[in-house]
Amino acid sequence: MIAFENLTKIYNVKGVKKVILDDASYRFADRQNVALMGHNGAGKSTMMRMIAGIELPTSGRVRRTEKVSWPMGFARGFNGLMTGVENVRFVSRVYGCNTDHVLEQVQEFAELGKSLNLPIETYSSGMKARLAFGLSLAISFECYLIDEITAVGDRRFKKKSEQALKDKIKNARVVMISHSEKTIKDYCDAGVFAYGSKLYHYDDVNELLKDYRKFC
Amino acid sequence: MFYSIWLQIRVVAALTLRETRMTFGTSHSGYFWAIFQPIFSVSFMVTLFYLIGRQSPFGTSLALFFATAVLTLDLYNKLSVSLMRAFTSNKSLLSYPMIKEPDTLFARLSLIACTFLVINTIFYSGLMVVGLAHFPAHPEMLIYAFLTTCLLGFGVGAINAILYQKNQAWQHVEKIFARPLFFLSGVFYIPSSMPPEAVAVLKWNPILHIVEWTREGFYSNYRSDVLNIAYPLGLAAGLVIIAMFVERITRKQRV
Repeated sequence: MIAFENLTKIYNVKGVKKVILDDASYRFADRQNVALMGHNGAGKSTMMRMIAGIELPTSGRVRRTEKVSWPMGFARGFNGLMTGVENVRFVSRVYGCNTDHVLEQVQEFAELGKSLNLPIETYSSGMKARLAFGLSLAISFECYLIDEITAVGDRRFKKKSEQALKDKIKNARVVMISHSEKTIKDYCDAGVFAYGSKLYHYDDVNELLKDYRKFC
Repeated sequence: MFYSIWLQIRVVAALTLRETRMTFGTSHSGYFWAIFQPIFSVSFMVTLFYLIGRQSPFGTSLALFFATAVLTLDLYNKLSVSLMRAFTSNKSLLSYPMIKEPDTLFARLSLIACTFLVINTIFYSGLMVVGLAHFPAHPEMLIYAFLTTCLLGFGVGAINAILYQKNQAWQHVEKIFARPLFFLSGVFYIPSSMPPEAVAVLKWNPILHIVEWTREGFYSNYRSDVLNIAYPLGLAAGLVIIAMFVERITRKQRV
């Protein structure tokens, strides 16, 4: 279960106050793949970080009973001075996984070859994304948080990622941010629309997309 | 409950390994230098004192006398400075939900404490082997003093980390406080031989108390007029509690 309870999130950066959520209570439908949509700056990524537990709400709470991934699709948690292998080892240790097993899977998926033994700072952004994606697939989660993942990698890798992700969500689910209607239709069963600091639930993705077109 | 403790241990262990890698690089020589740096600094001071013909202020061994202060002060300094940057340089790690900011402090603490445990062991046993020191009179006191230094360094370091994250100018202010410690911590002298006016000021320095504690632990006939165990211990515990409390209540605003 993932649920927001009376959750308020307010950003106060340099005197500019921004209300992301105002006393919102919302329960993400269990075992469903949920699309999270809204206009740019509506706070979708912030909500995702709150679901992951990286960011704290201003008030209210996030209830989380499943094993949730970090927001996939950005490689921020890597240390540039450490090699790919060291970074992978570190993350699997933190998650309490078998490091060799995870490393093997990442090696197979990311196809980085010998580059895996080089410091991350020598990687291109595409290589970093491959590593990050491979790593999040290698660690088993019950809920994958995906923030615009499909924009990553070359054509062949995109295809491979799509397939791998589809395999994964047979036994897990996703909460996904995307502006691509095709991606949303492909993956999601239900949706939530962030608008005016409130959240609106949709059981039907087509309804969500209709409103998305109307308001964004 | 048990799960969350186990999780915390796992996270801190992973972070410690990572810190080790970041601090010492890939080569083993990195670790070698870290261990031998304080040893070189003590040797340098011994040579200097020997050349100008000065006697050890207490006991016969200059090396032992300096080491009791230098190793304590070095441990404290390493902790307070390295913990100061723990939050800012580990910011990217916070994208993993189970890693909380205090974990980065615990990781640095365990790495530095382990390193200094090795340094102390090597140095003191080295001195004993070459006959520049005898076996400590009260080994348990050395352990208490070491742990108190860790606690104090951790408390000050954690407060430094919070203030430095708030405003990076704190590093300059911190230096102003840290710089004179070398002269205030009894590296070259025993406080009992200082004029009472000086002692009245010096005794506010918690490091001096810990140095005196270490010396009482090492020398069988060292009697400190200054040492009050409750002072460094109470101060350290108080600072740790304040730091952890402030860290927790300001976490939302800082991240």
